[in-house]
Amino acid sequence: MNPTLSILLFLPIVASFPSYILLSRSRTAGIWFTLSVVMAELLLAVYVFYFVYTGFNGLGQSGLGQYALTEQYSWVSVGAFGVSYLVGVDGLSSPLVLATALLTVFAMVGSRRLIHKSEPAYYALILLFEGAIMGVFLSLNLVLFYFFWDLVMIPMFFLIGIWGGDRRKYAAMKFMIFIFTGSMILLLALMAAYMGVTPTTFDIPSLAGKIPASIQYLPLLASFIGFGIKLPVFPLHSWLPDAYTQAPAPVAVLLAGVQSAMGGYGLIRISIGLFPQASHQWAWAFMAVGIVTMFYGAGVAILSKNLRSMFAYTSLAGMGFVVFGSFATVASGSIIGMQGAILEMFVHAFTAGSLFMLAGYIQSGLGTTDISLMNGLRSVVPRMGTLLVFACIGAMALPPFGSFVAEVLVIVGGIHATPYAAVAVLVPVMIGGYMLWMIKRAVLSPASARASGTDLHVVDAAVFALYLVPLIIMMFFSILVLGPAAPVVQHLLQLVSH
Amino acid sequence: MEYIVVAVVALGAAALGTPLLQAVGRRFRAGAYASIAALGIAIVMVAANAAYGGSVSSFGGLLVSDALGDLFALVVLSMSLAVAVVSIYSSPNGPNLPSYYSLLVFSALGMLLLSYSADLLMLFVAWELMSLPTYALAGFDKKRVQSNEAATKYAILGALSSAIILYAMSLTYGVAGTTQISGVVAKLASEPFNPLVSVAILLFVVGFGFKMSIVPFHMWVPDAYEGSPPAVATLFATATKKAGFVAAIRVVLAVATVYALAPNSIFTLANVLAVLAVITMTLGNVAALTQKTMTRLLAYSSIAQAGYILMGFAIFAYSQQTGLYSYNAMLGMTGSLFHIINHAITKGAAFLAAMLVIVQLKRGDLGAYNGLAKRMPVTAFTIAISFLALGGIPPLSGFWSKLLIFVSVINTPLAWLAVAAILNSAFSLGYYFWVIKRMYLDQGESAEKVKEPFGFVVVFAVLVGLIIGIGLFPQPVIAFAHAAASGIFT
Repeated sequence: MNPTLSILLFLPIVASFPSYILLSRSRTAGIWFTLSVVMAELLLAVYVFYFVYTGFNGLGQSGLGQYALTEQYSWVSVGAFGVSYLVGVDGLSSPLVLATALLTVFAMVGSRRLIHKSEPAYYALILLFEGAIMGVFLSLNLVLFYFFWDLVMIPMFFLIGIWGGDRRKYAAMKFMIFIFTGSMILLLALMAAYMGVTPTTFDIPSLAGKIPASIQYLPLLASFIGFGIKLPVFPLHSWLPDAYTQAPAPVAVLLAGVQSAMGGYGLIRISIGLFPQASHQWAWAFMAVGIVTMFYGAGVAILSKNLRSMFAYTSLAGMGFVVFGSFATVASGSIIGMQGAILEMFVHAFTAGSLFMLAGYIQSGLGTTDISLMNGLRSVVPRMGTLLVFACIGAMALPPFGSFVAEVLVIVGGIHATPYAAVAVLVPVMIGGYMLWMIKRAVLSPASARASGTDLHVVDAAVFALYLVPLIIMMFFSILVLGPAAPVVQHLLQLVSH
Repeated sequence: MEYIVVAVVALGAAALGTPLLQAVGRRFRAGAYASIAALGIAIVMVAANAAYGGSVSSFGGLLVSDALGDLFALVVLSMSLAVAVVSIYSSPNGPNLPSYYSLLVFSALGMLLLSYSADLLMLFVAWELMSLPTYALAGFDKKRVQSNEAATKYAILGALSSAIILYAMSLTYGVAGTTQISGVVAKLASEPFNPLVSVAILLFVVGFGFKMSIVPFHMWVPDAYEGSPPAVATLFATATKKAGFVAAIRVVLAVATVYALAPNSIFTLANVLAVLAVITMTLGNVAALTQKTMTRLLAYSSIAQAGYILMGFAIFAYSQQTGLYSYNAMLGMTGSLFHIINHAITKGAAFLAAMLVIVQLKRGDLGAYNGLAKRMPVTAFTIAISFLALGGIPPLSGFWSKLLIFVSVINTPLAWLAVAAILNSAFSLGYYFWVIKRMYLDQGESAEKVKEPFGFVVVFAVLVGLIIGIGLFPQPVIAFAHAAASGIFT
């Protein structure tokens, strides 16, 4: 079996130990080592993405069912109880794998400037986190999936709790309690899925479409709560403002960029994939949750006085789009909504990631992220000011950024399900409104006499600008994500109408 | 070959000879090393028994050699060995030291015999041989008031539970006319419903429940764990508690295969066990959250874990009554036995780490744990790993056993147990992470390093290695638990 995915998965986890030891000895050597690990990871992720993209029409030949590069080994097998190590990739997971690898490199580059405390442990935890996230996206066995799902939280708890802002301990504990409760409730759904078929199995490809419709409803609800806390969706989001604002900026990038995508991925792969008939029945309710989350996120962001909390709620609104688009497809049978949701998860990693990284740079350069205390960024710190404007345009979903395509697809998909979904178009308008207002107050206003700050180093600014490139590519070549996503969505729709 | 007999002889010789040895060579702690050697021999013998399928006929059918006995004997002897090793560093010095190891080994011998008991009388003798030394061990710090309180409370409630068990045995004998457990089961299978048997079953649950620390028979647990010398508390939490479970499996679950508590009513053994399980885990977790000292927190956490273990018993009883869900029962019993192994390892690690903190910092309140990661990194890491395992977080051992237990009830009428257990697990992470937060995120009063003795570091490394190793490659241990569970299904 081709071991690409196992290498992708275990490389960062295994490398975290030598990284810790090297960093304890020599900072430069350790950072270069860690950076080369995440770069190698990125190359592998690009290969996987390319492999899925080129083969999405004929994936059936290269792997198990719709999945490519699958590997399967027996892990536990006692009597009739079996758990296998089963990994694979398809058009749903490959963009998220790529986004994770890219964003980890991004966070690493930012950490070099922004993190100065206990660096060995920090970089080791970042690597552990990256491996665990990869595990979530690549696992095709429910136990393996849950294994990595929980493993993600442990490094995140310490990353927030040790390197975070003033209220870091509170934020870390709250994060932990919420996320763990969610994952426990999720476990109920996974166990019910296991017992729902005969012969019992934890393998997702063997479970999809096999669970009787009558026992899908409670597990669906449990899984929706589990994934909904991670995304998060209103009203399960109350850990989000604390965690996103207290986490150190590079960690907030990973939290908002890829950890939230875990929730969206789980919704599509497990909630809809394993419980399709129940999802179809209840799609309207989940669409409502999505639309409420969108409006709630955008509404609260208007009132935010701080950049980071504004970005946190903007990210929340983005997750509303993911839920709304996915279930619009389940309700209507048109693939556009879910395709848009998958694209939204991909581009959200970069929009949210760049916003939070910039907030970190602004915090370190100006000493504050309070909007009322910032003025004249354009003249005081021109590089940061310019990049902030571009990152905000990305978040507003305006061309030439790919977020535009994603949100248009989601809204059109919603209209396929119900014409009332057209109100969703107000959300980007609200986001645009408060972002422009913030830019007017903070960037374009005349600088006060006392205003001063250190601007971004030109290298960091250039690296940062590179991260807007995938967004622009997605505007013109959205087929890179939408193409491989189409068969996945069609397969799910077959299960729904089955 | 009769490996078990060799183990019994080795332990008996060590228990009787230790005081003598100690009198001769006090300076070399000869008694301690003799006890450790005897426990080591016993473990090897039990392992050989498990591996080569030894038999036992010397005791005239009082003992039975099966995988269930091997599993429990390995658990209790290993934990006794760990306690004996760390006692070198912490056992109270003084004229009574020789008897300390003697009592410890006597108790281990009792637990070994209990694991293989096939007869009610043998079971009772082994039960007392296990319990009586521990009453003395609990009060071993005789100058400390708490230790005296612990010993008194434990001895009184222990004697009460022994009396209840003995009464239940006499009722059983009165109905069945034999004390051989297989004979009792065969006899009851042909008997019509007899309320006396139901009373006896319930009394067995109560009597064994004291040792298993099931609510509402748990009152002695926090006081005894806190007051006893820390090494002895480790023995209580990881070894004697498990002995309660093997007794319950050997007697209560064996009878449950043929006898319903009350036919055609809601008052079934499965429901009794299920309700006890939920009360136990809930009260244990809620009370743990409010504790101010580490040993009490561990005591209540230990109570909560007993609740999870009982879930497997409940689904077994349910399956036996209805004749349905035999696959679930198999999963549940495998999970319970696996969880008993895991709990012994993880709770052992946590208790020994807490003990080292008490020994080195001279305090056991949770405030002592602030900033511990900087002062005692190995100890703090051990506590963190064992707490995550107790909480059932992958990739650690506790995850697998909880998964097996929870999944075994999810599609049965006892599914509410799974929901209760899931909520409890989430809740328990609150206090587990509270301690982890103290150790890793909070600032301590001082950041000065504290010595971590080599013996402790070795024991910690072995236990943490087991927790992570079983978590990543659970197959051999699950297979062992599965083999032991298969013996219960007749």
